[in-house]
Parts: sequence; C-alpha cells; structure tokens
Amino acid sequence: MSVINHDVIIVGAGLAGLRAAVEAAEYCDVAVISKLHPLRSHSGAAQGGICAALGNEEEDYPLWHAFDTVKGADYLGDQDAIEVMCNDAPRAIIEMEHFGVPFSRTKEGKIAQRPFGGHTRNFGEAPVRRACYAADRTGHVCLHTLYEQCIKRKVRFYSEYQVLDICETEGVVCGVVTYNIRTGEIDVFNSKAVMFATGGFGRAYKTTSNAHANTGDGLGIVMRHGIPLEDMEFVQFHPTGLYRLGILVTEGARGEGGVLRNASGERFMERYAPTVKDLAPRDMISRCMYQEVREGRGVGTAKDYISLDLTHLSLKQIETKLPEISTFAKIYLGVDPSKNPIPVQPTCHYAMGGIPTNVDGRVVTDEKNTVKIGFWAAGECACVSVHGANRLGTNSLLDLIVFGRRAGKDIVQFVRETKGKMPVQKDADKKVREKINNILSRTKGESVGKIRADLQQMMMDKVSVFRTEELLASACRDIKSLRERAKNAVVQDKGKEFNTDLLDAIELEFMIDYSQTIIEGAYHRKESRGAHAHEDYPKRDDANFMKHTLCLVDEGGHSEIKYKPVNMALAERNWEYREKFVAKERKY
Amino acid sequence: MKLRLKIWRQDSATAQGMFKTYTLDNLEKGMSFLEMLDVLNQQLVTKGERPVVFDHDCREGICGTCGMMINGRAHGPIGGITTCQLHLRSFNDGDELTIEPFRAKAFPVIKDLKIDRSAFDRIIASGGYISASTGSAPEANSILIPHDVAESAFDSAACIGCGACVATCKNGSAALFTSAKISHLAKLPQGRAEARARVVKMVEQMDKEGFGHCTNTEACEAECPMGVSVLNIAQMNWEYNKALLLGA
Ligand SMILES: Cc1cc2nc3c(=O)[nH]c(=O)nc-3n(C[C@H](O)[C@H](O)[C@H](O)COP(=O)(O)OP(=O)(O)OC[C@H]3O[C@@H](n4cnc5c(N)ncnc54)[C@H](O)[C@@H]3O)c2cc1C
Ligand code: SF4
Ligand code: FES
Repeated sequence: MSVINHDVIIVGAGLAGLRAAVEAAEYCDVAVISKLHPLRSHSGAAQGGICAALGNEEEDYPLWHAFDTVKGADYLGDQDAIEVMCNDAPRAIIEMEHFGVPFSRTKEGKIAQRPFGGHTRNFGEAPVRRACYAADRTGHVCLHTLYEQCIKRKVRFYSEYQVLDICETEGVVCGVVTYNIRTGEIDVFNSKAVMFATGGFGRAYKTTSNAHANTGDGLGIVMRHGIPLEDMEFVQFHPTGLYRLGILVTEGARGEGGVLRNASGERFMERYAPTVKDLAPRDMISRCMYQEVREGRGVGTAKDYISLDLTHLSLKQIETKLPEISTFAKIYLGVDPSKNPIPVQPTCHYAMGGIPTNVDGRVVTDEKNTVKIGFWAAGECACVSVHGANRLGTNSLLDLIVFGRRAGKDIVQFVRETKGKMPVQKDADKKVREKINNILSRTKGESVGKIRADLQQMMMDKVSVFRTEELLASACRDIKSLRERAKNAVVQDKGKEFNTDLLDAIELEFMIDYSQTIIEGAYHRKESRGAHAHEDYPKRDDANFMKHTLCLVDEGGHSEIKYKPVNMALAERNWEYREKFVAKERKY
Repeated sequence: MKLRLKIWRQDSATAQGMFKTYTLDNLEKGMSFLEMLDVLNQQLVTKGERPVVFDHDCREGICGTCGMMINGRAHGPIGGITTCQLHLRSFNDGDELTIEPFRAKAFPVIKDLKIDRSAFDRIIASGGYISASTGSAPEANSILIPHDVAESAFDSAACIGCGACVATCKNGSAALFTSAKISHLAKLPQGRAEARARVVKMVEQMDKEGFGHCTNTEACEAECPMGVSVLNIAQMNWEYNKALLLGA
C-alpha cells in the first residue's frame, strides 16, 4: 500500500472546498481531491446570486439579514452561526470582487444588488435588494475565480479521484482512501487534516435540479465512522423544474403572470390559495402540485406533471422578460412557451441537513457537540446550521465562502499547532478493496440502475414535498427491501478504467444509507416546519420539536435518533433586538 | 425513431482507434443526445461489451464537461449549444451520425470520446488569475467599475472551457479560450496591474502546449456555446503587442 502525503486534504472542489483551499494554501501544503474536474463542480450552476447587506442600492444591515435567515429557517437555524455568516457577508463579497469576480454593477459602478425571496428590510417590512449577482451566472464566475486563486497558490489537484472512505487512527481522522476513476487504482492519502466539501444529494430523488455527480457520497462515508447526520428530513423542493429533467424554471415566470394548470386546464392554485394564487411560497406550491398529481389530475400520458402556462402573455413579454426560459423550454423540451404550456414538476433542489459542524467547520459527533479531531466539513454537505428547516435563495453561496474560509483558517491553526502526523493504519484500504471485490464478484442479481431508479421514485413519491405517517411508514419498509436488493446488485462492467457501473454501485450504497436518515428523521418529527410538511401534524410544535435531529444508520440498516438543542444566541442575548429572534409564526 | 451511430472507439491513449457502427431502434424524438448514448451503453453492458466512455455531468449546458464532434461539427448541428443540450428531434428517422472526440494535437484522446483537456489548466496556471491576498479585509467600494465595462468583462468570463473552439479551428488554436480569460481579467481594474505579464505568460504557454496559430477564420465564435466573441482575440493580440513593446 503506497501512501500519498499532504498537510491538508480537502475533498470536493465546489466553492466550499476551493475557498477553504485558498485560505489553507497560504500556509500549508494542500491537496484538493475531486471526482470531477474542479470547474465542473455543481457550484457553477448557481444563477440567482449571493447575498450580503452591502447596502449599495438601499439601506440594509447584517442584522436585518440575520432576522430574515432565522425566520426563513423556521427558527431551526443556529443563531450563533447565522450571526457569523451575515456579519461576515459584506467582507466575503468584497474579497471575491478583489479576486476578480465580474459582478454586475450599478450606474455609479458599485456592485449591483437585486431582491430575492424572503430577504426584507427592517425586519420583514418590504423586500430589499441584497443579492449580488453576475447576470445569471453567479456560481460559474465565482467557481472559476476561486479555482484561479487555488492555482496561483499552488494547490495540488487530484481530479477524477473518488473518495470512498476516510482513514481513522485512534479516533483521529488522518486521511482518505480514493478510487482513481481513470485507472481503477486505489490510493491512500495521509494528512493532518481532512475536510469534506462534497456537496448536495439531489440525485436521491427522481426529479432534481442537481447534476449527476451530486450523489452525497460524503454523507454515507461519515456514517460508517459513527458520525450521525443532522436534520436530513429538510430537503428543499422548487416548484417549477422542467418535466423529467428537473432543470430550473425561475420564479420570475410566475411573477410575470404565468399560471399553473392541471390536466383539465384548471388554474388549481385558485382553489388552494385564493388570494396569492400562483405566487404562494415555494414549499406550498410544490405541495399543491403534488396533490394534483396524486389525485389523478396530472397532465400527460403518465399524468405526472403540471403545465406552466405562459401562452396568454404577449410574445414580446416572453422574449424580453423571460428570454432564458423560452430558450430552455425550446432546447430541452422542444416547446415554444408562447404557443404551448411548459411541462413542469417540483424538483429536488437543496439539502438543508448534512454533516454536523460548529462555526469553525469542525465536524461534531453528538448532542454535546463533541469535536471529531482532524475532521472538517463545509458547504451543502455540512449542516452548521444556518439554513435550519428552509434555506433562503442566495444564502447557500454565501454559506460556502464564509464557512469554507472559516474551516480553512481553523485548519491552518490546527496544522501549525499539531506536531507530527497521525499515521494511517496499515490496512487502511482493506475495507474499500473488499467492498469493490465483493461488488465485482456478484454474478446474479438486478442491475444497479434499476434499484437506483426505484429508490429515486420511492423518495419522490413518499418523502418529498409532503409527507404523511402512512407514506413514511411505508418508505421505512421500502428502504429495508432496497437495502437487501442492493446487496445483490450486479455490475456488468468488470473493467478497471472509467468503470462508472462500479462507482454507481458504490454510490447506491451511500444513497440508501442517507436516504434512510431522511425517512427516519421525517418519521420521528411529528410536526410541520419549513420544508418538512407533515399532513398528519400540520402545525409547528416548538414545545417538542424545536431541536435538531441527529440520525445514524449503520451498515445493517439499524438506526439511532438523537436530538440536540438549537442555538438561540440572538434570542437569549440581553439586547434591544431580543424579541425579533424569538420563535413566532412564520408569516409573509 | 431509428439511428445508425458510427462511433469512435479507442481503448487507450496509445491504442489505435476505429469507428464502430451501432443501430438503435425505438428512440424518442424528445430524448437528449446523451440519453441516447446512455441507452446504447446499457445495451452494450447487457451484451457484455465495453460501454462507450464520454464526459458529462450537469447536462444543462453549464459545466462544460461534455463535447464531441457530431457529423463533423463541434457539439452537433445546432449552433450555440453544448452536446448535452442537443436532442434527437434535431435529426431524422434513419439518419446516420458520425460521433468522434474533439480532435486537436493538444487534446489527446484518453479513451473513446473522452479527451485530455489539461492543456487548458496549464494555460490558466501560467497566469490566468489576479494576485490578491486573503489577509486584510479589503475596503468596500474601493473599486468602482462602469456598468458596461463590468458587462463586457462578464461576457468574456462566460467561457466554460469545453474546447469546441479548438476542435473547430482548422489550426487547432486555443486563441478564443485563452483570450476570453485574458480579456476578462484585463478589463477589470483589479486585474490591470498584472495584465502585461499575464498576457505574455499565457500566450507562451498556449504555444508550448502545441495549440496552432490563429488565422482569424472566426470558426470558433460560430461554434462556441457561450457566444464568446472573437473581439476577445483582438484584445489579446493588442495586449500582447503592447506588452512586447513596453515590456511585461
Ligand atoms: C440549479 C441550481 C441553482 C442554484 N442557484 C443558487 C443561487 O443562485 N444562490 C445560492 O446561494 N445557491 C444556489 N444553489 C445552491 C448552491 O449552488 C449549492 O448549494 C452549492 O453550489 C453547493 O456547493 P458545494 O461547494 O457544497 O458543493 P458542489 O459545488 O456541489 O461541489 C461538490 C464537490 O465535491 C466533489 N465530490 C463529491 N463527492 C465526491 C467524492 N466521493 N470524492 C471526491 N470528490 C467528490 C465533486 O467533484 C465536487 O467538486 C443552486 C443550486 C442549483 C442546483
Ligand atoms: S471559448 Fe467557447 S468554445 Fe472555447 S472553450 Fe470557452 S466556451 Fe468552449
Ligand atoms: S454536461 Fe455540463 S455542459 Fe454538457
């Protein structure tokens, strides 16, 4: 077993991983390992923007931003982390500007800002312009810029290396085991610090706005080391994804007057939300769409989608106000939105939950926030938790660069203070080798693709936009049988190079593990909060459920659920704004 | 619908490649081009044959991973899109499609349709960045940038590094890619300071990687899925000549 050495290993080259690398590389030898080329990471897909209370367009303060984030999170966000993020936001944006991000500009040449859902002035008074953006390609330009900064700092990249395990010696995380996608070789890396920034897991659902690589591997890996996942039941669905593809159609389409219709052409939102209709909050519209489909009023041969109707708008309005939607609809579905309605479906968009960490990005393993030595996480795979039960638009990119940097800083301090490096165990790669051999040796069974499709369909049907006791109980049974089936999944391709079939099989095991935490977390949370809408318990229940779920699933599928308190720093501080941060009903 | 696919198969970087023909039936018009390759691979794997290796990830025209020559055109017959945005409705029942990797001296084939684009990384590494430190907190609004300058820098920054420009160019030149990065940074005040040194290093690296020279055919612009303009090349040449005259 040969071992590759670095001071710091960062897994994942999205904005979270790259920002941490930039920070750490000023002082240590940093390697970034990514299953994709860094510039192909999904952070590049973010369009809308990245928010900060710069006050460039109108009065704004980090405190207002913090209020919106706490409220948007349905009071499940940790207030210490939210305060850190909102206060640091203006600095973080200016820094990105200095690194070379071509932000869109105001007439005076300052960074331009636009309004975004849930962001308000003066504690909910009216929408505020807080989102900085580079047209509709904010993620793309940020990703390229941070990559350049890494290159300049001589960060070592290992692209097309998929991490399959972490190395642990005497309870200290000290490396990773990787699978080289090009050659099929297994390598062991040894380092003082390991950070996960492996992104989201939209691919556990049938319809998602996430890329193919967003399979949430990191979440499956940490559970094998006894680290529970936090608040996994909170998964954000965006109401309008293009049918089958899940690609996002912005909210602007409805803002401009587009309406949603079922199979009989009825504008059904009038029935559910008589006043706001098609402009009701995202989570609510997604639920209504799902309801229509479940009750047999879906459109199409499989009756499984809803129509987004723009045909009553003028051609000019569509072309000038919604140009990209009209090209998207044409490119992907061959639909001309001025003549025919666009087929849409709620699409799985963002994971609020993940690997529990503290504000310095250190992974914590229990309800007492005990730190796992040598291990950090940030970005969508982590749960600090700033998004609580529901994330506000543009807060994710901010989360990535704020907590990515903090993790990087903390890592530097750790590396400097720690003499010597914990060695990896002699047989660190044994488990991974056994797993791969086991998978390749199977000859009879179902294909991985079939089991994965069934899992994705099941998650979509039973654990998506709205949940019931019955659905969740049946999902618990389904996941058991999927786990059994996966044990015999057959990989046809037995080769070494670019064996995506094999990697799919490994990813499927991770998917089943963390999908179970979503199901169990949802099953045990007998209330409705943020993205978790439970029909049998339609109200939020602060007395019993104002707490974070910690769920751990072992190899055999046995689960353990614990809870930890929400940090209420702002609501408990003795100051004039105390009242603003105390939990209340979430109304807009 | 039915399609005949003539696909480039090559076992490794050093192996001799060749075209192999496959026929697919019962395809739907609404299917994307890459979904069609998924279907083919599923069939190959079931028959115990090696699946076709190709690059893809986002499948929404954003990541720049996908890219192949389809009937002799980079990203297929429709201009302004990536391969993953191409759909079968752009073809007719019974068509024969020739599918090959992007070809250029600086982009060696790794396997089948997958190529090594790391030459692009090395061009960026030679100077495609701004030297700013992470240390002290920079001042807000210390950089004011006129609206249209920012827009123009943004347009240059749109490149997704797919390589279509190189594959399309008869000289195998990377001028469009390289100039996009050079112009993006040179247009911003924060990138001006290093502009001269940057252009010299990046152009030299481009030559070192074995990319050909630009002879202004403008074929690249026509095939670029992000609409990156050849005006960037003009800016690069201007910056380069200025740097040579005035010293980097
Ligand atoms: C369509 C879309 C639009 C969005 N728009 C916005 C927006 O406007 N504003 C906003 O704030 N947020 C937005 N979001 C959310 C935001 O983009 C994501 O939450 C964020 O980009 C996640 O970044 P990350 O760094 O955590 O992970 P990613 O960027 O997803 O990167 C994950 C990295 O981990 C690597 N990786 C994963 N598993 C492994 C493994 N096993 N081994 C090795 N490497 C691995 C991958 O290669 C990749 O490099 C949007 C999301 C989508 C899907
Ligand atoms: S300039 Fe256009 S064609 Fe060339 S790599 Fe960039 S996006 Fe692709
Ligand atoms: S797969 Fe991302 S651009 Fe085509």
